[in-house]
Amino acid sequence: MSILADKNTRVLIQGITGTQASFHVKRSIENGTNVVAGTSPGHEGEKHLGVPVFDNVHNAQRQFNFDASVLFVPAMAVKRAVREAVEAEIGLIVSIASGVPVHDMLEIRAMLKGSKTLMIGPNTPGLITPREARLGIFPDNIHQKGCIGVISRSSTLTYEAVLQTNEAKQGQSTVVGLGDDMIIGTDFREPLRRFMEDEATKAVVLVGKADNAYEQLIAEYYDGLAVKKPVVAFVAGEALPFGHTMGYAADIITHGRVTVADKKRIMREAGIIVVDQMNDIHNTLQELKI
Amino acid sequence: MNIHEYQAKKILAQYGILVPPGGIAYTPSEAKRVAQKLSSRGPWMLKAQIQSGARATGHFIDHDAGGRGGIRQVTQISNILYEAAQMLNNTLVTEQTGDKGRLVTKVYVEKYEEVKHPFYAGMIIDSSVPCITLLISEVADENIVTLAQRREKILRLNLQQDSGISDEQIFQILDFLSLDKIYLQSFHDFFGKLLFTFINLDAQMIEINPVGILPDKKLIALDAKIKFDNNAMFRHPDIVRIHEDFEEEKRHRRARLCGFQYHEFDGNIGCIVNGEGLALEAMDIIQSKGYGTACSLNVKGGVDKDKIAAGIKIIMTNPRVEGMLINIIGGFLRCNLIADGILEASQDVGLTVPLIVRFEGTNKEEAKAILQQSNLSVVFADDINDAVEKLLAQMEVND
Repeated sequence: MSILADKNTRVLIQGITGTQASFHVKRSIENGTNVVAGTSPGHEGEKHLGVPVFDNVHNAQRQFNFDASVLFVPAMAVKRAVREAVEAEIGLIVSIASGVPVHDMLEIRAMLKGSKTLMIGPNTPGLITPREARLGIFPDNIHQKGCIGVISRSSTLTYEAVLQTNEAKQGQSTVVGLGDDMIIGTDFREPLRRFMEDEATKAVVLVGKADNAYEQLIAEYYDGLAVKKPVVAFVAGEALPFGHTMGYAADIITHGRVTVADKKRIMREAGIIVVDQMNDIHNTLQELKI
Repeated sequence: MNIHEYQAKKILAQYGILVPPGGIAYTPSEAKRVAQKLSSRGPWMLKAQIQSGARATGHFIDHDAGGRGGIRQVTQISNILYEAAQMLNNTLVTEQTGDKGRLVTKVYVEKYEEVKHPFYAGMIIDSSVPCITLLISEVADENIVTLAQRREKILRLNLQQDSGISDEQIFQILDFLSLDKIYLQSFHDFFGKLLFTFINLDAQMIEINPVGILPDKKLIALDAKIKFDNNAMFRHPDIVRIHEDFEEEKRHRRARLCGFQYHEFDGNIGCIVNGEGLALEAMDIIQSKGYGTACSLNVKGGVDKDKIAAGIKIIMTNPRVEGMLINIIGGFLRCNLIADGILEASQDVGLTVPLIVRFEGTNKEEAKAILQQSNLSVVFADDINDAVEKLLAQMEVND
């Protein structure tokens, strides 16, 4: 069991012929991911990595059904690729590229609203259900099948969180990298809702960071849940001087002085177990006795 | 990406937003000529063109710059020469520039505009909605970070990308500023144009501090600050062209040109990581042990070996750095590229400080092998805590 993707998920790869796509999709297929087809303009009729290639999503859909699409297209092409996938009513999009213009993300979020599509990313390692579906660029030598759901706002700290669940000998049910960018397709709430319903998931690890209000949103959401599984959270950026954002000055302006310490306090008040170091996660998970 | 006030005003004017007439001057006599051309009578405004807010309350380091700040009102034409000479080629420090300040190489000369009811207007992107948000505040002379802490003093309006600003929202603004409804049309006009500019130019922030109301009820932008989305500049070659990067520190510029994020702090440990989260985590742990980070380079998903080597050199040649920590968890990025980069950089500039490396993920064994076969004295660590502890131990030995 898992959330969002498993071995039966039929996966489309948009932008399959690129160098990075080729490197990572090959590994995904070797890991058991059910990659059905790919798109790449001008390559229709070819085969790449053993799967058929189409010019666009529309053409691919005439022959196959897809449950998910992984976007390996460059940042400037993400908006168009999302539109294709949303129009094709593909249920899940995972967008890897970093550097998507923020105004494009505003338009993308408007497209997603009321659609049948859930978008993970951009600027994410993706989504992985160990040994079943690797939709993204995760390192393939660190994942172990298990019972912890992971949701992370930081690409690389996702891997740290995964290593912590391994050390706790609990492994991962599914790992969701939300993406590092200022505006992302989906925040912590939707994956958490699904983890709460997923039988295989016994507890959830959240990784947040300075900037943005996503941590406050998840605290409110968790607080309001009737049935809760334990959630362990880490928020990075305590040492960051206020006003010195690692990229997005605008967010401080929007939300006023919400420091990492504030976020931790708000999460604790909502009943989330907040640890001060990533390294504390494995002990905390073991103490849960799940 | 930021631009100067005079450039921002020129852009706003192109979009039909009213700004005071003005001209740029590089010398005192040029300033005088510009002032005379603008108006036969004073007062005029002399505004230091550095990319920083809070210029009015700033001060010049140099003694010959006098006691006034970076924004000066001048009444007599004869004083323009004198005041401009004080400002030009001197260094202005504001609360946003840090102690080093910025060299003023040009001043913007404007006709002084008599306005009523100046107020602050800011347009930014609120990621949690997400939408474009308009911020309005009475307090025109404080900077927005100070304001952000006093929420009741700011009016926030979420705007629709497609339909723009509604009459109802304009009435909210007028009500908030205690202004009469007769201003509806001019406010509608001003903020409609501002939103159009914001969307059209891929802005992340536009601040007008302050907006003034002219006797004919029209609104005028007395100041302007625009921050663009770097990721969207491929759509705006004209803006890239007017952007001057000499205000940027050399190391920051080099990092940016490689496509990396680079930040400097007050400590003495240099960090190279491949993700913002890892950068934050390293800083947190270093601080928890009583030390500080000197600089942090995020090579993101870099796949170009030469750029990675150039990035590592930025850290190696930062004089503050007394110890280096490399923490890479390869996914998209492959660890062996970092190892190659370390070798290349150390061949060029030499490795003079302790270096602790932690590799995890894609191609980590290859990466370790590359460094082990070199003659560099590199220490490997298992995780970030281990890495920081080993680094601090080595730095103490060096002392």
